[in-house]
Formats: sequence, structure tokens, C-alpha cells
Amino acid sequence: MSEHHITPLKTYLAVAGTLFFLTAVTVWVSYFDFGSFNIIIAMGVATMKASIVALFFMHLLWDDKKNLTMFVMSLMFLGIFITVTLLDTGFRGGVNSEVEYPINNRATFYDSLPLTDTHGHPVDEHSADQHGEDEDHH
Amino acid sequence: MAENQKQNYLTHPKGIMSWLLTLDHKRIGLMYLFGGIIFFFLGGVLALGMRLELAAPGNDFVSNDTYNNMYTLHGAIMIFLFIIPAIPGALGNILLPLMLGAKDVAFPRLNLASFYIYTIGALFVMYTIISGGVDTGWTFYTPYSTTSTSNVIPMTMGIFVIGFSSILTGLNFIATIHKMRIPGLTWYKLPLFVWALYGTSLVQITATPVIAITMVLLILERLLGIGIFDPALGGDPVLYQHFFWFYSHPAVYIMILPAFGIISEIIPVHSRKKVWGYKFIAFSTLSIAFIGFLVWGHHMFTSGQSVFSQIVFSFITYFVGIPTGVKIFSWMLTMYKGQVSFTPPMLYALSFLFLFTIGGLTGIFLGAVALDIHLHDTYFVVAHFHYVMQGGTIIAFLGGLHHWWPKSMGTMYNQTVASICCLGVFLGFNGTFFPQFLLGLRGMPRRYATYDQQFAELHNYSSFWSGILGLSIFISIMNLLWSLRKNNKLDPGTNPWGGMTLEWTHTTSPPHPHNFEEEPVLEHGPYDYDKVIVEPTFKK
Repeated sequence: MSEHHITPLKTYLAVAGTLFFLTAVTVWVSYFDFGSFNIIIAMGVATMKASIVALFFMHLLWDDKKNLTMFVMSLMFLGIFITVTLLDTGFRGGVNSEVEYPINNRATFYDSLPLTDTHGHPVDEHSADQHGEDEDHH
Repeated sequence: MAENQKQNYLTHPKGIMSWLLTLDHKRIGLMYLFGGIIFFFLGGVLALGMRLELAAPGNDFVSNDTYNNMYTLHGAIMIFLFIIPAIPGALGNILLPLMLGAKDVAFPRLNLASFYIYTIGALFVMYTIISGGVDTGWTFYTPYSTTSTSNVIPMTMGIFVIGFSSILTGLNFIATIHKMRIPGLTWYKLPLFVWALYGTSLVQITATPVIAITMVLLILERLLGIGIFDPALGGDPVLYQHFFWFYSHPAVYIMILPAFGIISEIIPVHSRKKVWGYKFIAFSTLSIAFIGFLVWGHHMFTSGQSVFSQIVFSFITYFVGIPTGVKIFSWMLTMYKGQVSFTPPMLYALSFLFLFTIGGLTGIFLGAVALDIHLHDTYFVVAHFHYVMQGGTIIAFLGGLHHWWPKSMGTMYNQTVASICCLGVFLGFNGTFFPQFLLGLRGMPRRYATYDQQFAELHNYSSFWSGILGLSIFISIMNLLWSLRKNNKLDPGTNPWGGMTLEWTHTTSPPHPHNFEEEPVLEHGPYDYDKVIVEPTFKK
């Protein structure tokens, strides 16, 4: 901490290169459909880029480790928020199945899309009716 | 030396600009106190107005719409403009550097900036009130808050802005506690109020950004219809509640942890006894701050969240009871065989123990899913959080104000009047809120301007005692202010309670503009009543 770290220009250029490369990767993977992994891949690449910026451009790698701890802690809190919220949205309908997926499937936003069941598989409206889950559909 | 002793931060330097542009943490603390008391008064008047309306069934004084505005503003003002900023902003600012032996906080300019940010946020709230109010309840739940025609945007903007004031104060305090302690003042020699402020500050800087995000999303949803919370656009209204309570549950600990700190100071000093379980109290503060982040879903048991997360949240909620119990028992053991004197601050601390314990235990009721589904949105919840927030935080705040008043203002209030007011607050408080537990158990819903005849007797009783409560608080504040009259100054060396922390032993009352004439040398721990004798001194 006491001595000031001076990063060589080479490192900066290498980091910039990596960032450009990862941007290209982001664009490239957007042409493929990985289903539910789309978001995970996109966020993964973005997280990698953000970490590189924080570690090298913002000097967290050479700074007092307390700063890194603070930074990681903030990510940890974000992690807590997202994971625990998923305990709600991922497990709805455990007791009353009618509340499992009503919001998204009935949203006007989704009207243009084919009707799907909870796993994203297309269903035709008549079979859904037989299960009594489709009363509100218009 | 004599000339130097006459100099104190209240009179030196002089002039209005020296206050408005001050970098002195004590003056900034007093400005926070002044702002906080104004909003406390405003919120209190709204509360008494509601109790007046509820004294009898039917719409006697105000319309339903006005009533909706009143409870929303009462909640929002009390929480965002009084309780959250008041203790860290006022007492924390005045005391933290004094307790550390420092000249000021780590970033004095940032400290002044955070006060002005708070003022700007308060102006937004005032604008909301003047332009017709807001009727969503202080929680701004969607979908009502995205469709209500009242002034949701200025109010939420105000809260957004005030959040930054909280973050900056928290950041400042953390830096101050890490970097500004005098040599020898190690972590385990810190006064417990400092530990409490440290825990509070950690929560402030980690949780407050989330309320800022939530308010921005709400404003964007209203203005642009971006569809985060609106199911018609693929959003999820329950997500709003996750966002809101991810901040607002930890915010409950932003409100109560400083109060714990105050009680941890008052009890050993007025019992003349070393605090029992110092490390237990210190670490229970940090564990409450951490567990507080994992329990937000217990506000949402009837929101339609999954049964699985209800069980998880209910289970984790019980863990909060452990560190809280550790504190209560430590305080009681501190008093055990101590030389307890029933001074006004101690009376407030004792009231706190009773009221907070009731508030905490009824929280355990509400943490149980099955019971909460029955009690949710009834007066049981209203009574519970008032026992915690008013019976806990505000009582501790009043206690702290009475404890450090001679230190910060250099005058002593009339102690008999203060003690009688404390009794009035205690009785008035229980008279107001205990009947509300019964009302809630019988099914009286919260936020209604009128009710069935069967609830009339308990409501009437509650309204009557709320008058006593309001009057007692008003007189106790007036009693403090009355002590500021001329020719009522204490001797600068006064230590009326015999406190052992640096602010009592090493500086004058009121303190020198630079806190200490020379850097204090630590001679003993904060509560070494078993090793050193510090006699209370009280002279005019």
C-alpha cells in the first residue's frame, strides 16, 4: 500500500485487447441459441470483463486487500439477493400449482408468442384447457 | 488556559455562516438533531391526527383519502427523515470523534455534504406534502404505486436522495473508526456505541444502494412503463417487494443498532459497573447486521411468494433472536449487583428493556408463517413495529439525548420533570400500543380510517393514551430546550453521570471547537468501573 504501483503500458494494452476480444465474443455468441444458457453465457462474459477492469484498471489487484474484500462483499450481497429471490420465483406452485406460472404465460407481452407450459415447451390450448389451468386465457 | 476553557464549539466561531458552512462534526450533528426533531414533530402531529380520527368509528374528522395520505406521510417521514438519519446523523456525529479521541470525522466536508443531501431530500418530501400528498403507504407497493394518481414520484425521489446522505455518513464513520482512533484505543477498548455505529454503517453502505435502485425502477415504471413490476408486460409485482425489503429489513437494523449502542453506554455508566460480556455485545451487533440481510422475506408471507422461500425465511428469522437475546441478557447482568441510579437516561434505558423485549418477542410470533398469515396487515403488526421502533429506537434516542445533553450543550435540564415525562412516555406508549395487539388479534386491519363498533372500546383507549404519549414527549423536549436559557451553564469540567469514555474524561462540556486541547492519552478502558473510580461531578 505504501509504495505506489505503476502499471506498465504493456499490461494496459493487453487488458484493453482482452476487453475488445471479449466484446467480440459477446457479439459472436448472440448468433447462437443456447436456450436458458443464453443469459448465463452473456452474464459470464460480462462479469469476466468487469472483473478485469476492476483488477487492472482500478488497481484492485495491487491495492490494500481490504478494498478487494469490500468489493467482493458487495458482489456477495448481490449474490444473496438474487439467489434467495430465486427461492421464491423458482419454487412457486409447490403447494398451489395454479400460482406456478400464471404471470408470464398470461402477460399481454407474451400474446404474440406460442403458449408454453412451465418448462417452456409449446402446448396447444385445448389440452391445457383439460387440465383446468387455462381458464383466464383470452 | 482559563480563556481557552471558555471557548467551546457552540460559541466559537460566531455567525450564521459559521454554522451553515461548518466542518465541525458537533455542529453538523446539532443541525441533524434540529432537522430530525422538526420531522419528529411533523410525523407526531400526523400520528395524533390519525388517533383522533380513530377515537370513534365513522369518518369524523378526515376523509378516507386524507387518512391514506396521513398514514403514508407519517410512516415515510418518521422512518426516512427522522429515525434513520437522527441517531447516526445527530448523536453519532456529535459523539463518534469524541469517543475515539479524534479532532473530527475522517472526511469533514463529506459530512457537511451528507447533511445538505439530507436537506435536499427533505425538500422533495415537503414538496410532496404541499402538492397534495401521497397515498400508497410508506412501502410504495406495486401495482398501486405505479397506478396511483398521487405524488409518488417526488416522494420516491426524496427517498432516493436521502439514501445518498445515509451512504456518505456510513462511509465516513467506517473510515473514521478505522483510521482516527488515538494510539492504544484498540478495537476491544472502543465504547460499545462505536461498535454499534460501525455495524450500522456497514449496513448503510451495503443496503442503501438497493433502495435507490428500487426507487429508480419504480419511477421508470411509472414514467415509461418498462415492465419490471407490471405482469401485463411480463414483470412481477412481488419482485418489487423483494427489492424493497432487501433494503428495508436491513434498514430496521440501521434504526435499532444505534439504539442498542446507546443503551450499552447508558446502562454501565448509570449502574457504575463494568459492562457484562463486552465482546458478546460487540459481536452480536455485527451478527445482527449480517443476519438482517437474510430475512427480508418474512415481510412477504402473504404476497404469493413460494412456500419453500416462506419456510426458509421463517427459519432464518428466528436466528435474529439469538444475538438480540445475548444483548438483553448482557444488559441485565450489567445491572445485576450494580449501583443503579434512577436518573432520567437510566429510566429511558429501563423502559427500553421492557418495551423492546415485548417488541422483539411479538416479532417471533410474526416470524412464524402460520400465525403471520392470520396477523398480517392487522394492528398486531402495527403494535409490533411501534414497540420496536418507538419503544426501542425512539426511547433509546430520548435516553441518549438526556444522557449526552449536559455534554453537548453544557446545561442540565430539570431532572424531576424529565423523569416524570419518561414515566408519561412509558405509560402513554403502552396505553396506546398494547390495545393494538388485542385489536390485531381480533382482526382489525391496518390502514383503515374507520372500523366496526366491536373495536370501538380498544381504539378509544388507544387514542386517549396517545395524547398522553404525545404530550409527554413534547414536554420532555421543551424541558431540554428550556435548560438552554441564560445563566444556566454548567461548570466546563462537569461529568454529571461519572462516565469513563473519552468524551466525559478528556474534554470540557460543551467540548472545545477542536474537541481536545491536546491529543488525549488513554488511561483506562471505557467501562473499567472495577479498576478506576470516576466520581460524578456536577457543579454550576
